[in-house]
Order: sequence, then C-alpha cells, then structure tokens
Amino acid sequence: MSLQFDRIEKTFGAVNALRGVSFDVAEGEAHALVGENGAGKSTLLKILAGLVRADRGEIRWRGQPFASSSPREAIEHGIGMVYQEMLCLPNLSVSANIFCGREITRGGRLDEPAMRARTRAVLDRLSLRIDPDAPAESLSAAHRQLLQVARALAFDCRILVLDEPTTALTDAEADHLFDVLRELKKGGTTILYVSHRIPEVFRLCDRITVLRDGAFVDTFTTATVNTNDIVKAMVGREIPTRAPLAEAQGANAESRKGEPRLSTNRLTRAGHFRSISLGVWSGEIAGLFGLVGSGRSELLETIFGLHAPTAGEICLDGAPVTFRSPRDAARAGVVLVPEERHRQALLFNLDLRHNLVIPKSALTGGALIDSRGECRDAERMLGDWRIKAAGIEAFPDSLSGGNQQKAVVAKWMATRPRVLLLDEPTKGVDVGAKFEIHEMIRARAREGLAVLVVSSDLPEILSLADRILVMKEGELQGELDAASATEESVMHLATHAVVSA
Amino acid sequence: MKQLRAMRELSTVAILIAEVVFFAWYLSPEAGRAHPFLNADNALLILKYSSIYGIAAVGAAVVIISGGIDLAPGAVIALSGVVMGQLYVADSWALMPSLAAGLLIGLASGLLTSLLVVIVKLPPFIATLGVMGITRGVAFIITEGRYYDVSGRLPPGWQPMGVPIDWLAPIVMFAMAAIFQILMTRFQWGRAVFSIGGNETAALFSGIAIGRVKASVYVISGVLASLAGIVLVLVQGQAKADLATGYELDIIASAVVGGASLAGGRGSVMGAVLGTLIFGVLRNALPQIPGATFYDRLIVGVVVIIIVVADQLLLRRSQKS
Repeated sequence: MSLQFDRIEKTFGAVNALRGVSFDVAEGEAHALVGENGAGKSTLLKILAGLVRADRGEIRWRGQPFASSSPREAIEHGIGMVYQEMLCLPNLSVSANIFCGREITRGGRLDEPAMRARTRAVLDRLSLRIDPDAPAESLSAAHRQLLQVARALAFDCRILVLDEPTTALTDAEADHLFDVLRELKKGGTTILYVSHRIPEVFRLCDRITVLRDGAFVDTFTTATVNTNDIVKAMVGREIPTRAPLAEAQGANAESRKGEPRLSTNRLTRAGHFRSISLGVWSGEIAGLFGLVGSGRSELLETIFGLHAPTAGEICLDGAPVTFRSPRDAARAGVVLVPEERHRQALLFNLDLRHNLVIPKSALTGGALIDSRGECRDAERMLGDWRIKAAGIEAFPDSLSGGNQQKAVVAKWMATRPRVLLLDEPTKGVDVGAKFEIHEMIRARAREGLAVLVVSSDLPEILSLADRILVMKEGELQGELDAASATEESVMHLATHAVVSA
Repeated sequence: MKQLRAMRELSTVAILIAEVVFFAWYLSPEAGRAHPFLNADNALLILKYSSIYGIAAVGAAVVIISGGIDLAPGAVIALSGVVMGQLYVADSWALMPSLAAGLLIGLASGLLTSLLVVIVKLPPFIATLGVMGITRGVAFIITEGRYYDVSGRLPPGWQPMGVPIDWLAPIVMFAMAAIFQILMTRFQWGRAVFSIGGNETAALFSGIAIGRVKASVYVISGVLASLAGIVLVLVQGQAKADLATGYELDIIASAVVGGASLAGGRGSVMGAVLGTLIFGVLRNALPQIPGATFYDRLIVGVVVIIIVVADQLLLRRSQKS
C-alpha cells in the first residue's frame, strides 16, 4: 500500500535529470525528498504532477500504474501540488483561486455561493481566517502558500506534494503550516515534502529519501539519523557547519574603527522604513535580519538607487551620495544581488556569457563589445565560481538554482564593487552551493569588501555575519555581536519590543 | 545564441526562395512569351516598393526586440513626406533642407513617443497609437486634401549622388539594415536592447541605463520611418496625407515573420528586412494570378500565421535538444 517510483528516467538534451530513481512512499506517512539543486527533485515532482513525462519507468499507487499526462489528470488522481513559486491568480478572489479550472457550476453558470461555502470549510480546516472573497493579491506570502494547500484539500487530495513551501515563510508561519500538515497526516493524507531545510524535514517527516545528481542515494528513517548524516548523503562529503568565527571577529573589530565604507543617516522611505542609521565597514559582513514585511529589501533597494528616500542620507566613505538608478550606484561601487534571481537578475533570452559580463561591460566597457575578452572573462568566472554549466553558451534556464545564484553573485563581483548588498543570497539554493557562496563572500570581505547581507534564514545570518542588525516593521531594533548571538536572541529582537542595544 | 540567430535568418531566406520558386513555376508563361514574374524589371519593382517597408521595419524590429511596439511608422511616413512636399513644392525650398525637415519630423515624433513611454510611462501600444493619430492628423491639416507633385519639381533624370532613382530605396534599406545589424549584435547598445526586451527588471538591476536605451529605440524607429517617407516621396514623385496607410501592421508583421518575438528579447534586423521582401513578393505576384484579385489579403494573413507557427515549433524543438 504505497506510492512507488520505479526506475524513473528522464533526460533533457544532454542532461540526465533522473537516472533510474526508485523508492516507495508508504501510504499515510510524511516522506521527505531532499537533495541539492540539480539532484532531480523538481523533475520527479513534475513527472508526478503530469507536467513532464518520464522517458522510462513507472509510478504506481497501490500497485496500479499511475501516470498523469496533464496536471488536470494528476488532480483527478488525488495529487495536490503546492509549488515553491506560489502560483496564484492575484487579481482573482481566494475562492476563485481555489476552484480555478474546476469551478462548481449550476446549469453552466458559476455557483458562487457553493464555492464560497466550500472555500470557507477548507479554510476553517486549516484554521485560516481569510475572507473567501478577498483578492489573492491582498494576502501575505504565507497565506498565499496556504491557499495552495487549501486548493489541494478542496479537491480531496490523497497525496499532498509540497515543494519548498517555507521559503517565503517566517518561522511562526512555518509552524502553522506544520501544524496543518500534521493534522492532515493524522487524517490519512500521504505527504511528500521537498525541502532544502533539513531541520524542517526532521520536524515533520517519518522517512527521508535523498537524491544526488539524478540518482537515488538512500531512504532513511528519521528517528535513526541526524542532520549530518543527511547532509553527507546529499553532497557526498562533509561540510563544516560553522566557520571559525572568533579570529575573524577580532580582525573586524579592529577595522571597524575608522569611517564606515557605507553608512545611512536617518534614512527613511515613507511606508517602508523609518530613520535607519547604520554603518558597514570595509572588511566586514554585516547581517540584517528581519521578518517578511520588516522593510529590509526596500532598504537595500533604496541604497541601490531603485527608490528615492523620503528623508535622510546615504554616505560612501563619509561623503553623502545620491543614486538615481542602480547604474549610478553600481558605478560608485555599490551593488545589489537581488532576492528574486528569476525576475530581477537573469536574462533568459541571452546565454551565460552575456549574463555574466553585462554589468561590468555595461558599466565600464566601450560602445563596441569585445567578444573575445568577454568570452575569456566568462570562462574564467565559470571556473572560479565552479558554476556547473554546459559552457558559456548555455542559457541560464539550463542551470540549477544554486548555479544560477552563483552566476548572479559572480557577475556583480566581476565589477570589483566596494560595497556588496545581498538580499537572501542563498534562497532556494542547495547546501553545497550555499557553502561555496558563503566562502566566496567571506573571502572577498577579507580582501576589504564591505558586505551587508539580508537573510531570513537565521542559521545563515548567524554563520555568515560578523555583526547582526535586526529590523522590525521598518525600524532598526538593535545590533548583536554574531559571536554571542543565538537564534533566540535575534528572534527576540525581531519580534518583540525595542531592546536598548 | 549566434547559431540560433543565423539559423533563423537562414530559414527566412529559405522561405523567400521557396516563395520565388513557387511563383516562378506557377506564373510560368506559354512558350515564347516573357515571364511576367521572373524578370529583372519586376525584381527591381518588388525590391523598390518592399524597401519602403524595409527601411521602417529595421526600426520596428529594434523596438519589438526591446519588448515594445510602434504603431506610428505608417503615419510618420506620411507626415514626413507631406512636410517635405509642402516645403519643396508649395514653399519652393531647396531639396536638401526639405529632406532634412522631413527627417526632423521622424525625430520629433520619436522623441514624443520616448517621452510618453519613458517619462509618462504609458504602455508603448497606447503611446504610439496616440502618436500615430497625431502625426496622421497633422498631415491632413497641412495638406487640406491637396497632394504635392514632387517629381514635377525634381530636375529631369535626377540622380541622388549618382544613384538611379529606382535603386535609391533598396540601397537605403540595405545600408540601414547593415548598420543596425552591426549595432544590434556588436555594440553594448544592441545588447542592452536585447536585455531590456528579455527581462526589463533584470536589465535595470544589472546597471543598464534602461530609460536612455528605450528612448533611443523609439527615436530610431521614428527617424527610420521618416527616412522611408522621404524616400517613398522621391521614388513615387507624389506626397499626400493618406500615404502609407496601414503600413504599420505590415511592418510589424514583417519583423515577426523575420523572427522577432512580440514578447521581446528575440529577433533580428536582417530578419525583418527579409520579412518585408517575403511580403513584397506576395504583394507583387498574387495580383498576377488570374482570379486571385480578391484573395490576396486573405492569403497574406494565412501566410503570416503559418510562418510564425512554424517558427515557434522550430524554436521549441531547438530548445528541447
């Protein structure tokens, strides 16, 4: 009695996305699927969801072949998908989102009252207080994520598949999601849970299946293993969990004496953040932690010249500067690696070479493109950053998330910036790439780069930053020394009343 | 990407050749008679009139690759021609200043579009729809229904810089196509146009001066349309307000048939020019088919759809492999 994946194979061009993956998910269990980006998890989910067809192999449910040729068929089979990208129709109401494509009709007309009632029932089951008529765009990220769960429930799904559902959620919101999922499990729903966040997997799942490079590694019973075992299985090697902080700490306290490289003085953008005064010194990594909605991304974007501040000033080496555009900022050596690489960083119509060289070339290159020089630079960047790609002529959509992110960081590093702003630098990035990106950032900081990194991933902030600034509802709450900070102390600042720093 | 682009242009050339071969066969005359389609005079005729579309299509392709659209070229062609005609014929200006004034019309309408798109942030469709109405309207106001007999004032046998008048349009078109093909593929500016069309937000975040680049794209389209306008008037010898009515859609269709994607980020200037030749051949050959007189628009419409669908299927396959 289970969901069986039997020797599933899939190739895309020259890439073996899945090479004969077999494992079982027992009915009624919560089963985790983990692996680095590029391990084949997404492809496997797409096959299950009917978006992609396997080249070979079979999926069976209770012993019966169980292939879906379209997402619609998958829904009819009782598979509910909750995607990472949070698909929703922002202009439509909550209930319209839930019933999209499978509307309840009476005599050909939409039966709004029936849909509203069913929506309310499902939302109650998830203990969500949302108006079924509210437009989806008015919901928070967390609620939009739960809306997908609600949609799956409304269609009586037997197998609920979640792909990185907590990426955009705060811890409290994730807790709520887990409560809901545990309830569903008790009710007999089989859960297939895909995540990079190993601790989550341990909280929720009974068993863990690890994929690596498109192949099955092992299935573990959660109770008998620890985080390190899983990480080792995922990357095929051991990764130090925390960098030696103490020595770096000393060096940074030293360098923090003079003028800060970047500082803001009572910087305000009405409606987003108020009176932010902070400094980032050459050679240090300052962490900025805040929950979703705390105004941290807006702050970085304002420093980067995307928005005009309503009040206050930005200083570079003590001198006030005004950036009217990202181009202005980048020319002055202030660059931003934005949060959403798909929307804000990558050009999918151009190949990797162009993506890698554009900022540097557009800022400092001549009118005529130096093709040979650019190709050489791009080749070197692939090597330096260990970006796994077919070559510089590969298009960004052929890269895994981790390699895409490395490319985005690399393209900005090539401009030799003086201040690096990072917004969620390892969002949706696998453990291996995350580690490598952190190492590169640390190395550049040691060479004198001033880094300000925003992350809602607490362990990341704690291991990467020398100093942690905490924002809440648009205001700076205080500052903690990374060496002595704990997840609890940071979270306390981020969620509670002002503490004198 | 380069290979893909080259392949796409080759397939446009292949369509053009196939089309010529088809009409050469279909319209082949009885023995002893001259071929009505396949002769040098007819080839020049096709080239001459396609080139008017072609010159403007170079600009249209640039705009479309940037993710925008320009509906004004037809009207700008007319207004430039009319202004030139008014100054040269009615006001007895010298030829060169009249031509320059015609080109200034394109510059002005391009700048107006840029202002509306970049500063006022109107969607390009609406902005250029407005500019189209304004330019066409001004052309009617200036002419008050008259037309200008430009050829009557041109010296007999006039050859601009030693070029026979029939060759003027094709030469201008190929020159513009060559210049912009190089600008689009070898220069930072061209890559910026591709970047903005592919992902405007990412282009902004990558330090590209998107305002300046987008403005330049509409100015180029305007100036090239007015260049097409004055060339049309010189070649045809007449300027009037309803000149080039409806050209804008044919021009856009040419760019799309030549591989440009209306979603932006994809296409080529050369492809657009080849696209206008594909239409030029159709426009020339269809009326020669007995009984097809009333079918030519329909056939042109069907051909556009077939070519674009085939292109997308090819693209999908090349992305898969």
